[in-house]
Amino acid sequence: MSAPVKSAGFDRHMRRKLVNYIFVGLTTLATLVAVAGLVMILGSLMKNGLGGLGLHIFTMDQPAAGTEGGLKNAILGSLVLCAMGMIGAVVVGILAGTWLAEYGEGNKLASAVRFLNDVLLSAPSILVGLFIYEILVAPFGGFSAIAGAAALACLAAPVVTRTTEDILRLQANHLREAGMALGAGKGYVIRAIIWRASRTGLVTGALLGFARISGETAPLLFTALGNAFTSWDLTQPIGALPKVIYDFANSPYDDLRQLAWVGALLISFTVLSANIIGRALARGSNK
Amino acid sequence: MSFDETQADTPTVMVAPPQSERVVDVRGLDFFYGKNQALFNVDLPVARNQITALIGPSGCGKSTLLRTLNKIYDLYPGQRATGQILFNGENMLNPRDEVDASQMANAGGVPIKGDVARLRARIGMVFQRPTPFPMSIYDNIAFGVRLHQKASKAEMDEIVERSLTRAALWNEVKDKLHTSGLGLSGGQQQRLCVARGIAVEPEVLLLDEPASALDPMSTAKLEATLMELKDSFTIVIVTHNLQQAARISDYTGFMLLGKMVEFRPSSEAFIKPETEAMRDYVTGRYG
Repeated sequence: MSAPVKSAGFDRHMRRKLVNYIFVGLTTLATLVAVAGLVMILGSLMKNGLGGLGLHIFTMDQPAAGTEGGLKNAILGSLVLCAMGMIGAVVVGILAGTWLAEYGEGNKLASAVRFLNDVLLSAPSILVGLFIYEILVAPFGGFSAIAGAAALACLAAPVVTRTTEDILRLQANHLREAGMALGAGKGYVIRAIIWRASRTGLVTGALLGFARISGETAPLLFTALGNAFTSWDLTQPIGALPKVIYDFANSPYDDLRQLAWVGALLISFTVLSANIIGRALARGSNK
Repeated sequence: MSFDETQADTPTVMVAPPQSERVVDVRGLDFFYGKNQALFNVDLPVARNQITALIGPSGCGKSTLLRTLNKIYDLYPGQRATGQILFNGENMLNPRDEVDASQMANAGGVPIKGDVARLRARIGMVFQRPTPFPMSIYDNIAFGVRLHQKASKAEMDEIVERSLTRAALWNEVKDKLHTSGLGLSGGQQQRLCVARGIAVEPEVLLLDEPASALDPMSTAKLEATLMELKDSFTIVIVTHNLQQAARISDYTGFMLLGKMVEFRPSSEAFIKPETEAMRDYVTGRYG
């Protein structure tokens, strides 16, 4: 019986090897294509953007065509918008995600909230901008940084909610039981143990949310509007990098297009470093 | 050989400790997971400062029984127990529900929920898998203590040292109290959980297969620790390891299909089981 089995086994072995090579080849190719795209994007950003980088980018407001200028108003505006938006998104997202994961078991309201959150996750950002326009811009008579931040928060919150729920569900029930077996209440166990055990994932969720909003232009069109000058008044329109990139990239003037490249470079590397920092944090906390 | 309902219906052989020695006294306990009944009219007398072992094949209800003793099943809607669980003479299945105001004040504002919290402070639990909290070794111990009393730094230092010493872990961790509890080996983590459990000075310590994830050396250390601890605490242990039950326990309860089949002093039970079911189990004919 052993001889025929052996020969059949040999054929099969060859076939498996072949299939294996093909599959490894395909996956390697796919990876190369993806990485090549990323490298080309970063490469063209560096090629076109690095030349325009200089101190004046951070110290001067955006110019009119033909004059000298930087991106200070847009950079500061984006920082303000993203910071306020993320504060809102993280507070809402972590609390909502926690409720879904810890209290939403078999609860109809929770299923509805989860479904709506998933819808929001993929909602067109321009609709979110219009929605905020209706509730924060039109009634109060003007575009404002607050409205812009609210629009960004609406986009980031579903991401944070979703990751928070997923991460908390990963925590073993043993850990919850161990906390409660000592006499702690459920809420305290969640805050003192479960959140702490999940902190890396929670940070990752926040970073994902940040990545989602940092390059958004559409929701800012009807909310923050944009501002050619540096502004600290949250009730007034405020500049934003993606908005300036959008405007300048479409401009016929070379110097403005150059500034758009610099802006794109700045945003890309901010998101990249946010990811790297997030990963470094994750690795540090696992030690 | 398989077992069937007839065997499970064998009348209980019960050689119980005297009434006056019982800290916990379970009488006629039925337990339900939703509509499925997992325990049938179970009695379990637990003698003070003794080790009571619960043995039986997988799914016989021994962990379920253990989990009723500190009402940890409360966390899961749909799980319920009927009958009597007397703890120092008081039936815990119908406890008074009012919250003791002084208890709340002592807890330093940490929310605890009335009787269940106090019950769990007096009946500690160690789980199958080590469950160190994601915080330092010191804070793992202090976590439970802080829930139930206000301790100064010096008092807390002393409690931490005493608990770790009693759990036979002090010498191994005294130089790294402020490093993460997650960095310890599995056996050390399990003794950390024992230390955490006894730090709140419970009367009873429940252990759910505490050695099942440990290597033989760690198991031996844990067993030695339990033997020491029984001078101060009453211990109930669920184990799959018959040698372990025989080595360390004073009373043994053998369960089958949700019923207590035989409950006797371990010295007799293992040498001369009275029921056929236990005889088969102990001699390895099934299980």
